Amino acid sequence: MSRGTVFDIKQMAVFDGPGIRTTVFLKGCPLRCQWCHNPEGLESFPQLMVSHHACIRCGRCEAVCEHPDGCMNCFACVDVCPLQLRKIAGTVYTDEALAKILLKNQDILRMNGGGITFSGGEPLMQAGFVLDVIDRLEGMHTAIETSGYCKADIFQRVVNRLDFIMMDIKLIDPERHRHFTGVDNRLILENLERLKGTGKPFVIRVPLIPGVNDTEENLTATAKLLIDVESLQKVELLPYHQTAGAKYEMLGKEYSPEFDTAREVSAMQSCFESFGIPCTVL
Amino acid sequence: MKMTEYISRLRDYFIVEQKHHEFRQPATDCRQMAKVWRQQKLSDLQRATKRLVWMLEQEKPVVLKDETIALLRTVPAIPEIFTEEEFEAIRKEHYIHERGKVCNVNPLYSQLIDVGFDRKKEQLRDLIADNELKQDTDAVEFLSCCLELLGTIEQFAERYREEARRVGNRTVAEAFAHIPQQPPRTFSEALQFFRLIHYCLWASFNYHNTVGRFDQYMFPYYDRDIKNGTLTHDSALELLEEFFISFNKDSDLYTGMQQGDNGQSMVLGGLDQNGKETYNELSDLCLQASLELKLIDPKINLRVNKKTPLSAYERGTHLTKQGLGFPQYANDDIVIKALKRWGYSDEDAHNYVVAACWEFIIPGAGMDLPNINGLSFPMAVTEMVGHLEEFDTFEDCLAAVKENIFQEAERLCGSVHNLYMEPAPFLSLMMLDCIENGKDISFGGRYNNFGLHGSGLSTAVDSLAAVKKYVYDDASVSKKELLKLLENNFAGNEELCTKLRFSSDKMGNDNDEVDEIAVKLLGWFADALDGKQNERGGIFRPGTGSAMYYVWQSENLMATPDGRKQGEEFACNYSPSLLARCDGPFSIIKSFTKPDLVRVCNGGPLTIELHDTLFRNDDSIRKVAMFVKTFIDLGGHQMQINAVNREKMLDAKKHPEKYRNLIVRVWGWSGYFVELDDVYQDQIIKRMELMM
Repeated sequence: MSRGTVFDIKQMAVFDGPGIRTTVFLKGCPLRCQWCHNPEGLESFPQLMVSHHACIRCGRCEAVCEHPDGCMNCFACVDVCPLQLRKIAGTVYTDEALAKILLKNQDILRMNGGGITFSGGEPLMQAGFVLDVIDRLEGMHTAIETSGYCKADIFQRVVNRLDFIMMDIKLIDPERHRHFTGVDNRLILENLERLKGTGKPFVIRVPLIPGVNDTEENLTATAKLLIDVESLQKVELLPYHQTAGAKYEMLGKEYSPEFDTAREVSAMQSCFESFGIPCTVL
Repeated sequence: MKMTEYISRLRDYFIVEQKHHEFRQPATDCRQMAKVWRQQKLSDLQRATKRLVWMLEQEKPVVLKDETIALLRTVPAIPEIFTEEEFEAIRKEHYIHERGKVCNVNPLYSQLIDVGFDRKKEQLRDLIADNELKQDTDAVEFLSCCLELLGTIEQFAERYREEARRVGNRTVAEAFAHIPQQPPRTFSEALQFFRLIHYCLWASFNYHNTVGRFDQYMFPYYDRDIKNGTLTHDSALELLEEFFISFNKDSDLYTGMQQGDNGQSMVLGGLDQNGKETYNELSDLCLQASLELKLIDPKINLRVNKKTPLSAYERGTHLTKQGLGFPQYANDDIVIKALKRWGYSDEDAHNYVVAACWEFIIPGAGMDLPNINGLSFPMAVTEMVGHLEEFDTFEDCLAAVKENIFQEAERLCGSVHNLYMEPAPFLSLMMLDCIENGKDISFGGRYNNFGLHGSGLSTAVDSLAAVKKYVYDDASVSKKELLKLLENNFAGNEELCTKLRFSSDKMGNDNDEVDEIAVKLLGWFADALDGKQNERGGIFRPGTGSAMYYVWQSENLMATPDGRKQGEEFACNYSPSLLARCDGPFSIIKSFTKPDLVRVCNGGPLTIELHDTLFRNDDSIRKVAMFVKTFIDLGGHQMQINAVNREKMLDAKKHPEKYRNLIVRVWGWSGYFVELDDVYQDQIIKRMELMM
């Protein structure tokens, strides 16, 4: 029995693998990508999220607050908000409890060639939990959306148990990778080689960030790692969208990426297609 | 595929710029003619006849030089046949449904199109002679009125022919040289014939004139032209698109219960009596035409069943993506079974269509009034809550709610006495048995069943679930306390209101204990109407629609135990409450397929809003199609999906309370739209502008 922290369970995910799926968002991520659109997935502990937009300033949350100088994530204010604008991002489940929730819709998922997708955050940060949940999924199709940033043995162990992998390759240049994501890309690129070796069907995803990685040089370098890989289904380019910053304020954080968020990205599918790699823009 | 240049030009002219409005004549006093007809001591039947005659005489033919399908309404207001005093007197004696006109039926257009007026007139003359022999003067009068109208319409068509010739439009001139006297020679003439009939129905003050199974009754004309090579796929599509535009030319003048509510429902596909799918090439062209035109009329309904291939749902989902709120899906497996259980013949049940909104009716055979009234489930609950202290167990509460439902059903059924509708002689020509029996359709048809909507189901279910949990199971709220809070609209205990509002024990979360209450409430609604007869010998059909009742019945209703405050609206139709935060679309369809829908199949769809990013590419559209198919395969009766678009988003900004479940997705990014900051809401709205 293990426990894991989940910040969302979304039914009817249509972009997260084959068929229609349920996607589990696991909390905690070793990367700090400047463009991260799920900032509540970064820390591994439960956090308070507040939607200020619809607030009517009734003052009930302030009345119960015992830490006015700095939120300690005690969540005393969550239940008193009349508009339910305060939420806890992060629920701790046992593997059994999460599997039970996911199995509830297995009929629908199986009818539609779908299954469960683990996303995040970085789901591999809770690899043991993910494996325990998979054990309880009664053979349902499983997939993962991962940065590929984790130790080799963990990566190998989890990939072996999954049916489908979606992995990000954000930047090839190690220095720029460190700069924009906070970590080195060596582990990621090594794990990519490992993934290619398993023969598991996979998709490579490139979030296209304006001025960061949407260059011909970076995309071509990415493509070169993927030539003639039979188990690669396609490359998906995910153009940056300005709404990525929407949730930072809810967490009391500031969104201040160095790149120009308003600039158009160049989605150069040809960088991949010229090597015979199927490439789509999502 | 894209519209041709010709269609695009027509669309601009009629829809975007509405240039044809320049031909409209000034509106006249709608009661003016009634005074004249009263002085002439005309019967209601004669007045209804004179009304269409008057309308067509007032009309000034307008033919554009290059159009293929003509006819334009230029007279804005249709005369009433009674003076105000006369109508008040009728109201005192009779039950008047809506506006007192025959509406919301599906005429058999083919009864005129396939035969032509010449043969129909001949038939009428024979019938008149028969009835003269029998000295049935009522029948003679009725049949003579029908005959007079056919002659009037012929003269009207003749004036259109002259105008077409004058402006040099040979196509229209040649069509009207042949129809309506003779059956159409081509698909094009058949469409012009339909347009003429439909035009005359609206001009007769009949409304919610549904289109029905167009792909079936028009198929022979289409097929003949395709086979003899005079029509190609592309030319048929262009013709059909021009025809579809015609539904939108005068629609702002059409009578409805509210603006835009004109009920021009078209039904495509469906099983025949041998279990064979009838979806054909023409059905497909209709979907394509609708997809390209993006016009709100005709409103497309797709008949599906367990064997319907995913590809059919995919075609439908491409249309949903346009954000028009259709197609609406109806499940033959449930609907046909339900209709047969209610006494409709096997043949008629297989031929069902959708009325103006969702109700299931039979072409030509049904003079059903499927929306005669609505039962409020939440009211049955609040009445029980008023006596909460008398009930020792939750089962006692349920028994009281059941009793309330039975009483209210009894009252609603008993409220329809001495129904009166204005005669509709022209419409009667397309309703089965009317001319054979010499009786106007307003007296009734083969089926004369009345339908009752059941509104606010989810509010009632959630309220009962809350009573069970907080009053009986946990006993955390006393009966007295709850009653007082509801009476005071939660004043003094907003915390409890919040807790109730955002409880997860709501219909739509696939929670068996909660959904079981819905199963019971709908079952009792059906039980309460079982065996009840209306004054026309028909039955009462319970349904899951709400029409406008979800607004009317919620306006004055006190606060409910689900945390809903006084006056807050129920959800529309068969949907989760506006307060419910559901786990997701899977949970919703599971909850809403638990009740025995065969017993409550008057009509009323599960309505789901999906963000249109789910419709981004062919692959995701296929997956949305899978979702719809899943609802049908699980035994859902009817579904309507909204691909939520920019207009909706703007509305969501203004009225966030109505859009709590609206999810916005960008890649793996997801959140509730209403909770986003203004700046991000605006960005999403802006992005949609770019998408279109």
